[in-house]
Amino acid sequence: MKPARFRYLRAASVNDALQALAENPDAQILAGGQSLIAMMNLRLVKPACLIDINRISNIGYIDEDGDGVAIGALARHNDVKHSPLIRERCPLLTEAYESIAHHTVRNRGTLGGNLCHADPSSETPAVMVATGATLMLQSLRGQREVGAEDFFLGTYETARRQDEMLTEIRLPGRRTDGWAFAEISNRHGDFAIAVIATTLRIEDGRCEAARVVASGVGEHAARLEPAEEALIGGPIDDARLDAAAAAAAGAVDPHSDSHADAAYRRDAIAALTRRTVRRAAARCD
Amino acid sequence: MTERGHIPESRQREKPRADLQWIGKSMKRVEDPRLLVGKGIYADDINEPEMAHAAVLRSPHAHARIVSIDVSKAQELPGVLCAMTGADAAKVCDPLPTWASPPVLQAVIADDRVRHVGEAVAAVAAVDRYIAEDACDLIEVEYEPLPPVVDPEEALTSTGDAVLHPERGDTNIGLERKLTFGPVEEDFAAADLVIERRIRWPRSGGQPLETVGAVASFDDGAGRFTIQCNTSMYNYCGWMIASTLRVAPHKLNIVPTLAGGSFGSKMFVHKVPVLAAVLARAVGRPVKFMEDRIDNTTSCDNHASDRVYYAKLALKRDGTLLSLKTRIIDDYGAYLQFGVGQHGNALSQCVGPYRINSVEVDLAAVLTNKCQQGAYRGFGSEVANFVIERLVDAAADELGIDRIALRRQNFIQPDQFPYLIPTGNMYDSGNYQAVLDETLKLADLEGWRAKQAEARKEGRYIGIGVATCQERSVFSATEFWMWNLEPGVEWTSSPDGVSVKIDPTGKAFVTLHSPFWGNSPETVAAQVLAEQLTIDPADIEITYSDTDQGLNSTGPGGSRFTVMVTGAIVGAAGKIREKLLRIAAHLMEADVRDLTLQDGAVHVKGVLDMKMSIAELADKAHYYRLSMPEDLDLTSGLDATYVYDHPVTTLPDPDERHMGIFYPIMGHSCHIPVVEVDVETGQVHFLHYAAVHDCGTMVNPMTLEGHIRGGTVNGIGTALFEEFSYDEAGQLTTALWTDYLIPTIKESPADIVVGHVETPSPFTEYGVKGGGEGGRMGGPPAIAAAIEDALKPLGVTIDSLPLPPSKLRALIRDAQARAA
Ligand SMILES: Cc1cc2nc3c(=O)[nH]c(=O)nc-3n(C[C@H](O)[C@H](O)[C@H](O)COP(=O)(O)OP(=O)(O)OC[C@H]3O[C@@H](n4cnc5c(N)ncnc54)[C@H](O)[C@@H]3O)c2cc1C
Repeated sequence: MKPARFRYLRAASVNDALQALAENPDAQILAGGQSLIAMMNLRLVKPACLIDINRISNIGYIDEDGDGVAIGALARHNDVKHSPLIRERCPLLTEAYESIAHHTVRNRGTLGGNLCHADPSSETPAVMVATGATLMLQSLRGQREVGAEDFFLGTYETARRQDEMLTEIRLPGRRTDGWAFAEISNRHGDFAIAVIATTLRIEDGRCEAARVVASGVGEHAARLEPAEEALIGGPIDDARLDAAAAAAAGAVDPHSDSHADAAYRRDAIAALTRRTVRRAAARCD
Repeated sequence: MTERGHIPESRQREKPRADLQWIGKSMKRVEDPRLLVGKGIYADDINEPEMAHAAVLRSPHAHARIVSIDVSKAQELPGVLCAMTGADAAKVCDPLPTWASPPVLQAVIADDRVRHVGEAVAAVAAVDRYIAEDACDLIEVEYEPLPPVVDPEEALTSTGDAVLHPERGDTNIGLERKLTFGPVEEDFAAADLVIERRIRWPRSGGQPLETVGAVASFDDGAGRFTIQCNTSMYNYCGWMIASTLRVAPHKLNIVPTLAGGSFGSKMFVHKVPVLAAVLARAVGRPVKFMEDRIDNTTSCDNHASDRVYYAKLALKRDGTLLSLKTRIIDDYGAYLQFGVGQHGNALSQCVGPYRINSVEVDLAAVLTNKCQQGAYRGFGSEVANFVIERLVDAAADELGIDRIALRRQNFIQPDQFPYLIPTGNMYDSGNYQAVLDETLKLADLEGWRAKQAEARKEGRYIGIGVATCQERSVFSATEFWMWNLEPGVEWTSSPDGVSVKIDPTGKAFVTLHSPFWGNSPETVAAQVLAEQLTIDPADIEITYSDTDQGLNSTGPGGSRFTVMVTGAIVGAAGKIREKLLRIAAHLMEADVRDLTLQDGAVHVKGVLDMKMSIAELADKAHYYRLSMPEDLDLTSGLDATYVYDHPVTTLPDPDERHMGIFYPIMGHSCHIPVVEVDVETGQVHFLHYAAVHDCGTMVNPMTLEGHIRGGTVNGIGTALFEEFSYDEAGQLTTALWTDYLIPTIKESPADIVVGHVETPSPFTEYGVKGGGEGGRMGGPPAIAAAIEDALKPLGVTIDSLPLPPSKLRALIRDAQARAA
């Protein structure tokens, strides 16, 4: 379990990193290393070159951004998890962090690395899609913004181009939305068997907007539109909960692996949809 | 002599007593200070000058012929010292040690055929591990796939290309036989009721953080190997490694290192030390081979029992248990290292704590394309516990008798010990009612029953399980071969020795002849010697011998160590005490019979201040020969060795009516978990957990409780999560710890409430019994019973483990569909 040979470059600035990315088409960025190094040790990936961004200063910030939050590329999981600003403005993410990895892993791992890694069972992509986050990608060619829904393309596959670095994650403010996150994993802190992240807006007892986002049951986190449609247009009552749960289960086409079979994942999605919607409805202002 | 054999006289010297000073105290572990500050030297901490590092290329196929193998590119990689194939290894080394008879040949590197994913196909020694792994990537192997044999029941009928070891015949049945103890057919004919179940016990394994590792070197001048390794049993049968390496046994020294956990897995490691040694001789430098996690999970010796049971329990309508019949198909994987010793083991307590008159065991040990089995906490007996407990629960339900009441009704009673069970093994002592009563108290059964009823009204599913399990300890060697049809290794000894020395200043030194493998050998030795010589444990230093210095010692395993080393220390300390008294008698001009050893000094009974300390006497013993009597046998110094034999072993009956006494020091436990099952998600949460163990006289309640709690979490792993799972192609889908799910503190009960009952053994020193494995022996049946109890309204039956959420949810889904 030792990695194949690679070159190591240490970037002193974002520009440095972008330069190195442009010059080394076979390079990968090293952030917390909690996913990348394990894959290298298993020789599942053999990057010829690593660009270490850990010494770049001032990119681990978690700042106000209008009524939302801007998170720098090197913000560690634990910083995000414990940030009062995020708890206030994006409590869905704080809640999701109760299920993400373990303390030591979160000390090193970064939210940015987590999103770029795009594990199909990861929790954070579901939160990004549910909240409508925006990802800032930068290269020597310039900067572009990609909405979370367009960022995750497949298993370990994102819209990020080889020469781009994810420099910032922008979370919109919460306004009056209710939220809830729930996951099932075999053990606490494991990657998920199934995740649902839900946001709701209820006005005058009527559900006006809903996002029901699943992870762990497809190639990437995705909205379950039939479930959302089942919720919108009336009160969140038992009939709507049942309809949404059934629609959610019907909207996914999960896989089987050693952690759970497809039938289980479908059952789990139904149960989690019901539970998150109920909780989110109770949290609408 | 009866049908079930005879019971020899006890050889106990030290009776259990209430006035002990060190035994029975929760003394802090002697091992901890140096281990906790990181000063322990483990195999991977060893670095020798010029040391090379090994890596192994492993088979990606479950079953295949090796058509060709080309290591030339690997050889050419700068930094590579040697790339070795199976053919190369076969030129310099013989097959690995095995207890199977007839043997199952296993090469350290596969030669013509691979039999499981992960089997070694080539090995590289290089200047560092990185280069060694790079070189493995450059080795070209052409395989011709053979049919993979994965399902144990299908393995029963394999022929032709699907046969793993054609030299043993056209079959994958490694051993098949039926043993009958007592009047099974008569008892079944007399039964009112027969409970029948198919029970599936999953393949799991001990998961020490530290894998197996060795640093080997070969001294060309002396023609001698030295292997430092985290193995056990080196002073029992380490010479077998020498045979494999084709050197005389005195041309190999095995030096133990600390083991970073074992749980049985490092009982007698053979592949890793042999591989390191073969490479070391080839490259003329010391070689370190440290398994990485995948090396370990795919090719270790610690995959454990993987069994299908077709079990039948015969009983009377009044609840009297009569007889037990089991047909067992055990998936041994590709090789039989310990023969079918796991089934010798299981015969030791297969009737549980119950009076059952007769037993039939019909075993087929099948060979499949999986990693071989080895030892893991329970060594096969934990499965027998699960089976008998599931049957007893089923019988109670069927008869409409309370599960606890049926147990009480059939318990062997305190006045029936020592008790011979039908297989011939002896239960030395016990008080099963007392253990059950104590557990019921700690578990607050009544309180939980009330909460359960309340919860059911809210649609919540709480369940309470009760398992009353045997916890055999101190195996003897016969368990390894009693099933064999052909004579092979038929040893009857399994002793353990110690060396004790008091130096001229009065400090004590103990040399253990078996290793540290994660337990507390030094603490036990210090406590017992302190007790024996009435000295302070802080004045005792403990070290470990290698095979050059070693006395015959079987080593830890089978919950032997505490009983055996206590026996050995009592023996050695007795010799030292006798000498101390003799010298003191001479110097104080007193009669030996008037002397007593107390508080670290020899006193003249009844005479105040007539005493000599051990330090004074030791000084005399070492430096003042001329002050001593002339006796030729009174030599200078103060030291003794003692090899303590197994306290009570008898031979199997030649006609196999019984298997003799082989696992007699019988502990007992009762586990009562309370769980809540989320029926929508299949998740299980522990609300409470109580476990009471009777391990005889406790030497150290604190370390025993550690064993109980840790073992119970192992049991939770087996019951709910852990499985070495092979797919249809024979790929191990749970080779990494991301997929092989070891429970963490979050999956464990907030507390495991532990209690004790002490029923001393009449056969061991001080009445001590072993207690290293009991947690895993009691947990699984109790947890299964609790889940079944929770889901009683749905009619779910548990007869297969593990039960991760997906599997439990599937059972619930099926039950709901049946009900609808
Ligand atoms: C035991 C364990 C349990 C875990 N459990 C979970 C869990 O429950 N849920 C979960 O979601 N994750 C889990 N993880 C993964 C963890 O969250 C990782 O930290 C995360 O996936 C990757 O973040 P990192 O900073 O370590 O990235 P790295 O491992 O350094 O990089 C990951 C990938 O992202 C790329 N990358 C990193 N940063 C950037 C950037 N700024 N721009 C462009 N590309 C970049 C890298 O090149 C690499 O391809 C677990 C990990 C471990 C070891």
